[in-house]
Order: sequence, then C-alpha cells, then structure tokens
Amino acid sequence: MILTWLGRAALYVCFAGAVGGVIEQATALRAHRVSRVRWWALGALLGIAAAVGVMEFALVTHNFALAYVAENNATFTPLLYSITGLWSALEGSLMLWVLLQSAITFGVLLYYRRDRDSPVVGWAAIVLLCVGAFFTLLMMGPADPFIHNAAHVLQGAGPNALLQDNPLVAVHPPLLYLGFVGFSVPFAFAIAMLVTGRVQERWPLEQRRWTVLAWGSLSLGIVLGAWWSYQVLGWGGFWGWDPVENAALLPWLTATAYIHSVIVQDRRGLFRVWNLSLAIATFSLTILGTFFTRSGVLVSVHAFSSSTLGPLLIGFFFFVVVVGASLLAWRGDRLRAPVGVDHPLSREGLFVANNILFVGFAIVVLLGTVFPLLYQAINGTQVTVGTPYFASVAAPLSVLLLVLMAIAPLVSWRSADAKVLWSRTRMSAWTAILAVVVLLVAGVRRPAEVIAVFLAVLAAGAALRTLRGSLVAALRRGSWRSVLRAPSTGGMIVHLGVVVLALGIVTSTTYVTRSEVTLATGQRTVVDGQLVSFDGFHNITDALKTATQLKVSVDGHQLRPAITTFNGRGGTTVGTPAIDSNLARDVYVTFDAVGGNGGTSGAQVQSGLPAGSVVLGVTVEPLLAWLWLGGLVIGLGSALSFFRRRYAEDAA
Amino acid sequence: MKRSVMVTSLAVMAVVVAFSLFLATRNPVNTTATQADSPLLGERAPLIAGPRLGGGAAIDVKADLGHVVVVNFWASWCGPCQVEAPSLSTFAWQERHDGVDVVGVVFNDRVGAAKDFAAHYGSLYPSVIDSGGVIANRYGVISPPTTFVINARGIVAATLLGAVTTRQLEAVVARVNS
Amino acid sequence: MKVLRSFSLWCVVLVAVAALAVVLRPSDSSAQSRIAHLETLVRCPSCDDLSVAVSNATSAIAVRHEITAKVHAGESDDKILTSLEDVYGTSILLSPPTSGLGVLLWIAPLLGVLLLIASALRLARRR
Repeated sequence: MILTWLGRAALYVCFAGAVGGVIEQATALRAHRVSRVRWWALGALLGIAAAVGVMEFALVTHNFALAYVAENNATFTPLLYSITGLWSALEGSLMLWVLLQSAITFGVLLYYRRDRDSPVVGWAAIVLLCVGAFFTLLMMGPADPFIHNAAHVLQGAGPNALLQDNPLVAVHPPLLYLGFVGFSVPFAFAIAMLVTGRVQERWPLEQRRWTVLAWGSLSLGIVLGAWWSYQVLGWGGFWGWDPVENAALLPWLTATAYIHSVIVQDRRGLFRVWNLSLAIATFSLTILGTFFTRSGVLVSVHAFSSSTLGPLLIGFFFFVVVVGASLLAWRGDRLRAPVGVDHPLSREGLFVANNILFVGFAIVVLLGTVFPLLYQAINGTQVTVGTPYFASVAAPLSVLLLVLMAIAPLVSWRSADAKVLWSRTRMSAWTAILAVVVLLVAGVRRPAEVIAVFLAVLAAGAALRTLRGSLVAALRRGSWRSVLRAPSTGGMIVHLGVVVLALGIVTSTTYVTRSEVTLATGQRTVVDGQLVSFDGFHNITDALKTATQLKVSVDGHQLRPAITTFNGRGGTTVGTPAIDSNLARDVYVTFDAVGGNGGTSGAQVQSGLPAGSVVLGVTVEPLLAWLWLGGLVIGLGSALSFFRRRYAEDAA
Repeated sequence: MKRSVMVTSLAVMAVVVAFSLFLATRNPVNTTATQADSPLLGERAPLIAGPRLGGGAAIDVKADLGHVVVVNFWASWCGPCQVEAPSLSTFAWQERHDGVDVVGVVFNDRVGAAKDFAAHYGSLYPSVIDSGGVIANRYGVISPPTTFVINARGIVAATLLGAVTTRQLEAVVARVNS
Repeated sequence: MKVLRSFSLWCVVLVAVAALAVVLRPSDSSAQSRIAHLETLVRCPSCDDLSVAVSNATSAIAVRHEITAKVHAGESDDKILTSLEDVYGTSILLSPPTSGLGVLLWIAPLLGVLLLIASALRLARRR
C-alpha cells in the first residue's frame, strides 16, 4: 500500500506544481510583476521524478504490490528490462512522457530566466505547464500506474516477449518521446506570440534551436525504432506503414517543413504566420499520434490499448487545434510579413516547394492511416491501406525532394540565376552521369536504383560544395574549427545523412532476395552468393528463457538464429533472427522449421523432412546498414545544428 | 485576399472538428480478448455451483442477486490465463464494493495444480471446482481463458475469448451496466 | 553562351545515358517477377499489415502457393487479385480499391498538392 500512496502523492505534487505555476504566471502577467513560475515548474519536475523513482524501485525489486509491476515484470526479469518496464505499458509510458515534459518545461524556463518578465515567456510557461498538467491528469484518473495489487502474488506476468529481447528498448522510446515532448516548446511559444502579437522579435528564431533538438531526437528515435523492428520482428523489413509508425512520422514531416521555412524567416523575415501554423500543426499531430497509439481505434502491433483514454486524447487534440486556429484567425492577418517571395526558383521559392512536399505528404499519410476507419463507417466493409499505396506516393515525392536537395543549397536568395546555378552544379552533374554509366556497365540496371544513385550524387554534391564553402570561409577567418558552428554545416551534414539513408532504403528494397533453404547438420550451400552452413543445435535454458539455437555460419561468421520461449506470460514463443551485417550487405537468417520429431521449443515442425534438418529463411539485403549509418549522420548533423551560430554572430 | 489567414484557419478548424468528432466516435478494436457471438448472449445464465477451490463454503452463484458477475474459466496449464491472472485480481479488488463479483471456474485441471496456480498468482476471487466439466459444458467453453459477463438481471451480456485486461473488463462492465 | 553550350552538352549526354538505361532495363514480364509483384500486393491473412511476400505464417505460405498456381495457369493479375478478394474479403489487398470510395485516396494527394501550390502562388504574387 505504501508504494501506491507514495506514487500517487508524487503525482499529485506534480499536478499541483503545474497548476500552481499556471496560477502564479497568470497573476504575474496581470499584475505586471516578475513571476516565480520556474520554481513551480521545478516542483512539478520533482514530483514526477519521485513518482518515476517509486515505480522504478518497485520494478527493480520485483515488488508485485503494484498491479503494474505484476503485469509487466517477473522475478527473473533482468535489470535492464526491469528498468525499461517503466515504459513497456501504457500507464508507465505516460510517466516517461510527463517526466520529459516537466524536465523540458523547467529547462526552458531556466534558460530564459533573464527574460522572465517578457509576456511571451510568460504565456509559453502557461501553455507548457497546461500540457504537463493534462498528461498528469490522465494518470491521476483513467491511467493510474499505481493501482494496488492486494493479492499476495508470488510471480508476475513479465514483460511482453518482444520488449525484453533487445536492448534497443532502452533508447527508442525515450528518444521518441523526447522528440514528441520537445515540439511542445515551439508550440507554446507560437501560442504566446499569437496571444501577445509579438512575432517580430527574436522569439521565432529562438524556436529553431528547440525544434532542431526535438527533430533530431525524433529522427534518431524513428531510425532506432526501425532498427529494432528489423532486428526482432523476423521479416527482414524495417518499416511497415503501420498506424503507430505513421503516427510518429506525421509530426516529423511537418517539423522538417518548419525547420526549413524558419531559415527563410531568419534570413528574410518571411513566412511568419505560416511558421506559427506549422509549429501548432506539429504539436497537434503529436497529440493525434498519441491518440492513435493509445486509443485502440486502429489495429497495430505497436499499440498500447485502452478504451478510456481515446476520447480524452482526441478531446485534447480538438482543444489544441481549436485554440491554435482561433488565435491564427484572430491575429494572423495582422502579423503577416509585408514582402513576398521574389522568384519561384530563388532559394525562398524552393523552400516553399519543400514545404508543399512535406506538408502534402503528411496529409496523404494521415488520410491513408485513417482511411480504413472512414471506409468502414461509410461502406461497412474492411479495407487495408498498406505499403503498396504509401510507397507509390513516397517514391515520386522522394525523387522531387532529392532534386530540391541538389539545387536549393546552391541557389541564391531573392533571385534565380541559371548561369550561376549551372556553374555550381556542373561538377556534380557530370559525376552523376559518370556514376550512372559505371552502374550500367557493372550490371546494376534496375531503374529505381539508377535514378536514386543519380539524384544522390547530385544532392551529395550540393551539400559537399556548401560545406567546402563554409570551410574555406572558416580558414580565412583563421580557425578551421569554426566551420563546425557555421550556419549551414549541421544542415548539410544532415542532408548527407539523408542521402546515405535514401540509398540504403532504395538499394535494400530493390535488390532484396528471400529464400528458404533446407540443411541437414553439417551441410552447407550457397544462397544468393552467401555461403551458408548449418552445424547443429544448441539449447539454452536460463531463468529468463528457453531457446533452441541453430549454429549457423554465413561467410565464415557465426550466427545463432533461434526460437525463444520467454518464461512468464504463459511462455510466449518468438523467433529470434540472426543478422550478419557489413557495409555491403546484410544477411538475415531465421529459424523457420525443423524436420521430423523436432523436440525443440516451439519451432514449426515440417513433416517430410528428415529429423535433425532445418529450414532456414535467408534474406540478403544489400546496403541495408547504410540506413543506420545515415541515421547516425543525421543525428550528428542535428547536434551540430543545435549549437550553430546565429547569422548576426556570423556577420560580426 | 485581405483576410486569407482567417478564412484558411477557420476552414482548417472546421475540417479538424469534423475529423475529431469522427475519431471520437470510433470503437476500439479489442486486441486482447475477442468478443464472441456465443449463443448464450441474451439468455439466462446457466447455474454455477460447486465446491470452492481451497476449501471453505461451497459456491453457488445466484446470478440474479442484483450484481454483475464476471465468470472466468481458467486452468493452470493455460498460458494466457497466467497473463490475465493479475488483471482479474486487480479488477476484482477494485470493484468489490461496486456491485461486481468475479468468480473463477477451474477448467479441466487437477485440483492440486489449480490450487498452486491460485496461490502463485494470488487470486482475489473465489473459484469453483468444476467436476466432470458440467459447468463448462453448460457454458459451451472449449478452451480457457473464456470470460462471461452476466448482468444484474442474470442474463449473459458478453463473452470474451482470450486473456482479458483490467481496462477491457472495466469497459465491458460499463457497457453492460448502461 | 559558353554556359548554355556546356549545359546543353550535359543534357544531350544525360538523354543518351537515360536511353541506354531504358534499353538495358531488366525485363519484368517473367512469371517469377509477376509472382513476386503480386505477393507484395496481398496481405497475409493472419497478420496485420505484412504482405505474403515477407511473412512466414502458414496462411501466408498457403496464399503464396495459390498465387503461384494461378500465375502458371495463365490468369491475369487482376483476375488473381479479384479471386483472392472473393475468398478473403476486400481487406486482403494491401492497396485500397481504386473504384468507389477508394478513389478518394488517389485523388486526395493530387488535390492537396494542387491546393497548396495554388496558395503558394498567391503568396508569391503578393509583393
């Protein structure tokens, strides 16, 4: 009982801190005095930190007096997976969300403490604290993590099998949530700017930094999520256009548009109102995404399900959009920039094209995700919207985006000079043609691959050229290190990462080969150019799991694909794939079936095969590792962009 | 246009309002236990009576006591029953003053193993030993876990196949009560 | 002038290389590639969103056998997909139907982009 009361008390402290902070800030704004809101925000942070502490303590000590622990933990759960149990189920994941939200709120208020008398910071504080209060309220009501388990339970059910066989469970959700929560900052400031009417000061430009932090975390979170799925789900793929995956992609798309159009606002003061709308839209999509994940309305392998949170979350989404749209309707027209875009092919014009593509794609993904619901409501029958649809929209879009990436960094502001553009692109253009010729000669002839490589060279060329320009300028200034904080360095490195990622995606999906091979013990064969041999079985039993591993060797490397049965939860059996990965290709091996009287834990027995032989699924995907490499480069680029100098500092 | 931002914002707001209302009225897909169309739905609930697991007074669920009764068929050898055991106990404890009773029925199991299971997972609700599988037959249960929700008037109102969760039971009982 | 000549030269070479790429393109009409393509369009009946091309569930393997048999029997792609729909329902196809309400999914992206381009042009024209 103690844990329940401690945990709930901590949540009440967090809520009280948020509400108290809102009241404090509101009265400070009215009375034109300096507010002490950041101490209230600290109180809220300490409250949720204490609640997280209580839950982690219960998880790590396997204390089943909390129903949440009994449902998601067992005495044999290893330490890492006990700790990550905090976010393995719905109620706990809300705690992680509120923890990050409170931390970011306090961090932002601390960062701007010298501006705390500004009404913009004041209103932003109110918005941030309200968001935190809402999610805390969810946990004080329908999603209580601290429900007491009065039974004297000797053993818990343990975590879901797929959440305890890969350490990536420790990084993917926190990074993802950091991204989602991070977008509340530009949103809060957008609301604040609309309410106070102060769009022309430095606040819009400050938001770029916070947006880059959130965007970078979300990008890394999404890529790591894809990597995690790839490693455990057993089909060799990394993205399924599943509703919950799309839910994370939607705010990422509008945030990418925002990051780009804010550059234009920084340089030329344009797109003020559009940027405010994008900030509001991104945060709204975050809420909509969490609705899809937690309401159970759409079928997904990744969803937490609950039937009571749905209406509350969609209600909050509704509230956020109505407030944002009303403020825009009221103030928007008066805040518009008096000038416009001079030429459609100037850099500003190309940024407009960028925004059209990203926002357009977000709308299409959203429509595709909810379409089954619409269809069922109108026609009564079920329909699936899957990879073929999304891929056929994403493909031409990616082509256009790569073209933009190849041209925009080399185009001037305000004007479009074809001669200058050609002189800057010429080298990449010829290299691109050369690359295509090399490919054709070498036998790589699928159109998708050829086009992708052509555009990738162009886009990489533009990024490298811009980086070279920044490096030259830095050297002229006397310090090469200053290029790291130059305005475009981070962004160009991100572009390079995107190019690597795109090449990885196109190559691995165009040239993937899947086969099934049957091997007896000691037998070897060549599959799609890989030497695969099977050397016998190996059984493992420990406190956590029982696994039948296959001793497989691919190109001389040892792999252990397995079928694993985790204790707890009635013994769920999952396939554990094994991957041999290098920069050239990934070989993905799964234990598909065993012959004769298998006698193994859960493997599909296939009659007609001699006992002791196995069926292996072998999938070969070239350049798949480039996806994770590209993601890493994107992360690096975002970090550099976070720390970059402002244009004003550059001019000095 | 002079007021294009206002017009666009209001238009977007209208679309989003319609969209939110649409989503708010969607029913969740049950990803844990599936609601089945058992022939018992709408019929008077068959008798549940027998010796209590663990000894003590025999159980006889008089289903028309004005309480909602959640009947859960389980077995110690059944995997999903392990998953749902903590949820059922939590639910039983939560609802003990709210007019909802939870009763378990041991399905095709040895008494010793069933007792161990109940002790291990800490059942907070009584379970009936179903000798000969008579109760299971009456309810048409072929495999555990199967859960029936009987409303306050003694009519079978819902049948759930598979492991239930606390949230799901709360939702189903709320629907049954309305 | 030199710039124009240099650019035109590049364009000519590009067109030539592109033509070469089209000519050298691997042929796509073999039974094998037809089967592979159809498999990516059909959902595995017991999964949520995996295609039968990638899933190893028994139901997916069964559907793969059906597709292979029908392709070798000479049925057209459309006929194969329709017959699978008749057996498993419309939700077995991973891409929504192009007739009826499904048209919305294909028209909406185009409409959306046109709308955005129109508003962007209006924005640009305001000087």
